[in-house]
Amino acid sequence: MSGNFGNTVRLVRFILRRERFISPVWIASVAFFSAALAPGIEVMFPDAESKARLLAGYENPVMTAMMGPLYGAGESTGAMYAGFMLLWTIVAAAVMNIFFIARHTRADEERGRAEVVRSLPAGRLANVNAAVLSAVIINAALAAVTGLGVFATQTESMDFTGCMLYGAVLGASGLVFAGVAAVFCQLSGSAGGAAGLSFFTLGAFYLLRAAGDLNAEILSLISPLGLAQRSRVFTGDDALPAVILLVEAAALFLLSFKLNCARDLGRGFIPERPGRSEAGKTLSSPLGLPFRLLRKTAAVWLAVMFSLGASYGLVISDIGKFVENSPEYLALIGVPAEYAKTLSGAEKTEMLTEYFVAFINAMMALIALIPLLAAAMKPRAEEKAGRAEHVLARPVSRTKYLCGFITAAFVLSWLLQCASALGLYCAAKAAPGAFALSLGELAAANLVYLPAVWAVIGAAVFLTGLLPKAAGAIWGYYGFICFMGLMGGLNLFPDRLEKLNPMTFVPKLPLEEAKAAPLAVTAAVALALFAVGLISYARRDISA
Amino acid sequence: MKLSLETIGLTKKFGKFTALDGVSLKVAEGEVFGYIGPNGAGKTTTIRALLGILRATSGEAKVFGKDAWRDAVEIHKRVAYVPGDVNLWANLTGGEVIDFFVGLRGKRDAPRRDGLLKAFDLDPSKKCKTYSKGNRQKVALIAAFASDADLFILDEPTSGLDPLMEQVFQELVLEQKSKGKGVFLSSHILSEVERLCDRVGIIKGGRLVETGTLAELRHLTETRMTVKTEKAAENLSEIKGVRGVVRKDGGEITFQVDSSEIGDVVSYLAKYGITKLESAPPTLEALFMRHYGETGEEGRR
Repeated sequence: MSGNFGNTVRLVRFILRRERFISPVWIASVAFFSAALAPGIEVMFPDAESKARLLAGYENPVMTAMMGPLYGAGESTGAMYAGFMLLWTIVAAAVMNIFFIARHTRADEERGRAEVVRSLPAGRLANVNAAVLSAVIINAALAAVTGLGVFATQTESMDFTGCMLYGAVLGASGLVFAGVAAVFCQLSGSAGGAAGLSFFTLGAFYLLRAAGDLNAEILSLISPLGLAQRSRVFTGDDALPAVILLVEAAALFLLSFKLNCARDLGRGFIPERPGRSEAGKTLSSPLGLPFRLLRKTAAVWLAVMFSLGASYGLVISDIGKFVENSPEYLALIGVPAEYAKTLSGAEKTEMLTEYFVAFINAMMALIALIPLLAAAMKPRAEEKAGRAEHVLARPVSRTKYLCGFITAAFVLSWLLQCASALGLYCAAKAAPGAFALSLGELAAANLVYLPAVWAVIGAAVFLTGLLPKAAGAIWGYYGFICFMGLMGGLNLFPDRLEKLNPMTFVPKLPLEEAKAAPLAVTAAVALALFAVGLISYARRDISA
Repeated sequence: MKLSLETIGLTKKFGKFTALDGVSLKVAEGEVFGYIGPNGAGKTTTIRALLGILRATSGEAKVFGKDAWRDAVEIHKRVAYVPGDVNLWANLTGGEVIDFFVGLRGKRDAPRRDGLLKAFDLDPSKKCKTYSKGNRQKVALIAAFASDADLFILDEPTSGLDPLMEQVFQELVLEQKSKGKGVFLSSHILSEVERLCDRVGIIKGGRLVETGTLAELRHLTETRMTVKTEKAAENLSEIKGVRGVVRKDGGEITFQVDSSEIGDVVSYLAKYGITKLESAPPTLEALFMRHYGETGEEGRR
């Protein structure tokens, strides 16, 4: 055994040292969101009556498909919290684990770091094993910090055992996805490919759970996401699913060890196909490179946005009965309580549909920002990898180079918004029940977010030009925008803070009139950010 | 003399660290200039300033008489560059990258590209992530030599190549030289510099410490001499430029002498009746080592 695992402990310490920044930020973010939302749920559903109304909403199967089962029949804050939060926190933990494993196994191998370690008196499996053990440590920390953080809020009906179980289920599920990533890191030939396949698996498990929760319990038990929810945190407190998840994770780790032993360093089981030996049309101009580099990501995200739009579209015709009697839901999607009382019948359904459209458009614009910001940050990534200088040492100006990526992000922003609007429209029309909005109206309500989206992209370009070393802070800003998007409606924050979020100024179509002024101002801000970013990019050093 | 590139008091600071400290050098058109110096001496920084990728803190960098920073795009129409550390896009093939690079400058020349692919023995249909360091270097070299440039700026371009490929590279440089194209070559490889370069500049700690033709630089170094004289030349070690005098049994003396002082030393020895005189010319290696090693420099100055 020592032949395979020699020096693992040292490598674990080395990985934790390399991780001293990224993982604590991930853990702190997940724990913070988990803890911050516990009192939030209590505020939203203070009494038995409001909880019962929420429960009525769960009679709609789409809600179950999207969120999973709600155990404890809405009787306590803890029950609602687990029903709302656990699934999404696990998704966040899964993302953290997939990136973590890819970074410390395949990426190390790709960059030639793994072979340096392998050439030292370290065991054949020491690399993978050290990454796995580090993942165990990091997930244990995630479990403890989140559990204690949630417990520290001292929310009604959320006792110590429940909170710690919540953390444990989270950590155990995280480890399962670390295991999934560890296996794909052996199968695929690259870190990017392995992460992609792992995310695909995460998506597949989500859909499997949705199908299972609707009509075949066994499918939900197969999906780690469904199994985790069956621990009935805060209502039944069953630790068995967490144990099973740990066993699954261990099995996946063992499989990855087996696969690792069976392959050569630097190779995968999925063979690398040769590509074209001459450049196609796309690569015939400097503008073509960004499009070529972002092609695959764009295709995946267009599919994601379309299905996201479609999944909302399936619920939308039911939305009236779904929320009309629940002031809490009405508050969530932004309907003023007094206004809701003044309407009835078809008029009310139509009004609620419009509110719902405005609400989900805001959500989808936030999600679409992920690939858009990745595209906007691509020039900085290229610069750090030493690839920008290949292009800039040829007759291509800095401005033209950066504009290529901005153009790609700009085009992608239109496509993503259109994809989600189209998904929403098609699904809403296909689903039973009336849907009054036209495709044009839907598209307008969706595209109205574009200037705000450009402003956020502008911020990324601004940082790339002016503060390249701190450009990663854009993801912090994105986190802020998401947080404000979720919590901003509750009027908890000073106005000045709200104004830092460009989404605040977007007219809520189709509810409100499309006002040109805020859109024009936001677009102008975006343009100014682009300009400052471009000018300072042209004036600074390109660092390797 | 028309200059292909010129720096005047070129200085580059990164925060408090001075990477280049008043570097002034001139390279004539059609000249192959070797740029030599230990790791971290400032070779790459000089090249990146000449390419307008870094902005000089003070001083000037000019290529074809134009400002390297301000007129970068104009200059790059006539320049081909190979970086020392070639990092490429993992999911593009070598062929795609070569075509993209050549296409940025102007028209693609398919026969030339295919000839280079063959000469360097590179498979253009493979993804860049599967290439070794040497193969990535080949991609950059092929892209550079497939384009019709007037000046080639090459930053340790052969550090990953095998000797056969190194040979191919040297022939390509000589071919460009014969066409009157200029080459600015940063290198550690002695044989490469000796075979290709008309003139050499040596940089150390951000300062240019020596420039000249190889013959001129050789002149600056020491020659090792072995002599035998009829009468004992007792004051030899006091003569200017002489060091390391060792007297052996049988009257033989070995010593080192500055190449510029040989004449004086020989005429001094002649007075004692020379019966044997051997001199070993300075090697390029000695020249390099003197500038690379710390102690060598202190010994001289």
